[in-house]
Amino acid sequence: MYSPWYASVFFKLPVQIFIGLLVCGNVFAQVQHMNHQGMNMKVTASGFVMNNNVDNLPAGCSEISEDVELRVRAGHKFAVEPGQVFAMDKPVVRVPGCSRLTVVFENTDGIRHQWMVHGLPKYLYQGGMFHIESNANRTVRGTFIVPPEDKSYLVHCDMTQHMEKGMRGMLVVGDGSGRIWSIPGETDYFYRASYLPKHIDLGLGLGLVVLCLLGAVYFVLKLFRWKNPIT
Amino acid sequence: MSRSSWLVVIFLTISLISFPPHWYPYSLRVTLTDWIGVPEYRALPVSIPPAPLDAEKFCPEDLHLWRQKLIIDGVEVRAETTCVADNPYLVAAAVKGTNNVSHGTLQASGFTNDAITKGEDLDGDGDPDEIHIRLEVVELNGGSNVVTSPATQYSIAPGIFPSLWVFAPKLGGMAVENFESQKARLGLRLPAPAIRVEQGDRVIITLENTHYMPHTLHLHGADHQFLDSTGEGNDGVPITSEKPVLPGFSRSYELTPRQSGTMFYHCHVQTHVHAMMGLQGLFIVEPNKPNNWLQTLNLGAGLVRAPSVASKEQYDHEYDIHYQDLDSDLVRRVRDSNDPRLITKSMHRDYDITDATADYFLLNGRSFPYTFRESLVVGEDGDRIKLRVVNGGMKAIALHTHGHKFTVTHRDGVAIPKPLRHPQDVVALATSQRVDVVIEMKNDGLHSYGPGIWPFHDHQYQGITTDGIGPGGNISAIVYEQYLGEDGWPKTNGVAFDRYFSAAFYRKEIPVWETYGANFFSDTAVDGWLLGRILICLVSFLFALIFFSAKVRSRFKKNRFE
Repeated sequence: MYSPWYASVFFKLPVQIFIGLLVCGNVFAQVQHMNHQGMNMKVTASGFVMNNNVDNLPAGCSEISEDVELRVRAGHKFAVEPGQVFAMDKPVVRVPGCSRLTVVFENTDGIRHQWMVHGLPKYLYQGGMFHIESNANRTVRGTFIVPPEDKSYLVHCDMTQHMEKGMRGMLVVGDGSGRIWSIPGETDYFYRASYLPKHIDLGLGLGLVVLCLLGAVYFVLKLFRWKNPIT
Repeated sequence: MSRSSWLVVIFLTISLISFPPHWYPYSLRVTLTDWIGVPEYRALPVSIPPAPLDAEKFCPEDLHLWRQKLIIDGVEVRAETTCVADNPYLVAAAVKGTNNVSHGTLQASGFTNDAITKGEDLDGDGDPDEIHIRLEVVELNGGSNVVTSPATQYSIAPGIFPSLWVFAPKLGGMAVENFESQKARLGLRLPAPAIRVEQGDRVIITLENTHYMPHTLHLHGADHQFLDSTGEGNDGVPITSEKPVLPGFSRSYELTPRQSGTMFYHCHVQTHVHAMMGLQGLFIVEPNKPNNWLQTLNLGAGLVRAPSVASKEQYDHEYDIHYQDLDSDLVRRVRDSNDPRLITKSMHRDYDITDATADYFLLNGRSFPYTFRESLVVGEDGDRIKLRVVNGGMKAIALHTHGHKFTVTHRDGVAIPKPLRHPQDVVALATSQRVDVVIEMKNDGLHSYGPGIWPFHDHQYQGITTDGIGPGGNISAIVYEQYLGEDGWPKTNGVAFDRYFSAAFYRKEIPVWETYGANFFSDTAVDGWLLGRILICLVSFLFALIFFSAKVRSRFKKNRFE
């Protein structure tokens, strides 16, 4: 719920230096590649890419195994599963280890959307993430190189409630490391409502309570019949 | 008598004797007193020693050095003396427009580059008159299908996370503070930002519906046409002017306000639910003045760090004051399930506002004690302070100031004729009503009684509680500068604030006066003696019953076999 103690160490100093520089000379005013809270960030009129990486190989990769280009379209119109409002047309992306993945993130909505991967190695990707944000009806390309290990990464949009209401997917590197819960059209929801009519829901609950009570009475009676001190 | 009969009698006797004598009928107690006298003294249960408090830090450190006065991109951003200050880069970007500030300031503000764009100076008086504001819809403390904790967390008071919807400015990137946190980033908060435009400005407000439900924007009290320039509805009302903006779509509202004043904006789709979930903000039209660069958005309302020309001419400080209330029965519903269809039904058909009571009371998006961090009204002897106040809650407000009599200058954005203005210390605000108030810190026994820390709050008593626990709700204070510490925390003389900054206090677990009357007002231990007697009484009665039934049954069986 609250930042860990080390957050102040990580954020206080760089942010103060950053703001100090801004106040003094505004040296960053013309720079396109910003260092925002330590993130490598490429900003355009269509949106931005954070931690774009075309040539830094992750540890364990001697060369790029494959160049993969993938168009991911996002918007309400791809929301086809019941209860989904926003969606990506390809929630599950599979690539081999050490491949260079270029995501062409096409936003078909009149609002912003994001394509974001968590859990990447932090020595290469600040914060362990790769992040594309596309403005309304815009397309943004971003490239990064995946580590060699078989792993399943969560892919989502971090606008409030977009992940919860459908924009949740996974990036499977190699054979992956298992499946991730609650991906519409792919894996089951970890929490789901009962979807039973209200009176059945209530009836089931009451029925269970009555059954438990009857069971308890039966058990008590049996107990005392066995241990009846008189008969 | 058989063995079982004896047992029945013995257990019944034990049961009778162990029955607590304090619960005998009055006449029996009197008779017993006559017979055997008054029993020995038995002390009442002891006081439970106070539990250690897990209090939050009252006044978080100003890590980013945001409280001081700064000049950013040529914009003078005034000092904010309270503990928690607005991001000054965000203020500067809101003044210049996100299309006019340096890249560094824009990055430090967090705005996207199209969040507030400012265009031509149409009347040639030195300030831009084409203003385009983009707003998104954000859900705080929302639901999830993977975790049970609230998503994108925003607390209104220690430990209190009601689910909220709010109009938010466009802030690029993640909605949470950082990649390891579930806490909403700064700027995603209640209330919706106070919007400031100039009289005669050509204003476009684009509502980008990033939320999973339909919404609109209605400009309450601000001069706008029923239809916009393309002939589309412009009033934001589904039943009369236009269809709601569906998820993933956007719509622009246009206005060129001819009158100045303090107005209001809110969602007009299922208003009784959507406005009450937090989709409401102040809309202020400033008089047209030369070189009037306005702080177009004031996030979380409160102190205006770059006030208008008109405000600077007449007042030393200007504050936007937004009161809201929340019904705990409504603000839990989006987390009951994750399916928008079920949520829609729960909020718009199962929920019945005619049975509602307000439970949480907010001043600028927070309740006491958080109001003391960021919503104090600060000034010094001789200052004139302007408050623009709106009541967005369902309950009326009786706004009261200690130590001061203020003067209401405008009601619902319209000036009150000077002869009718007078000092008063309570003003009533109906739902959605606005007043402009001037507080004169003139120590004359009428306008002010002198320097100090003077609370101001809703004097309808629910309003000073958080779900019935006081002090809470919308309490804040007018503080004279000499009573404010270096860090912005007021130098109070009263009780310690540890309890108020502990979530347990608002969970109703901490005795209210414990810190200064520990033994008198503490929670009490359980009366073990009484509990023991009741247990013995019940258990022996049960045994008596069992032996009695066994006896009856054995007799019945004997009869059958004979």
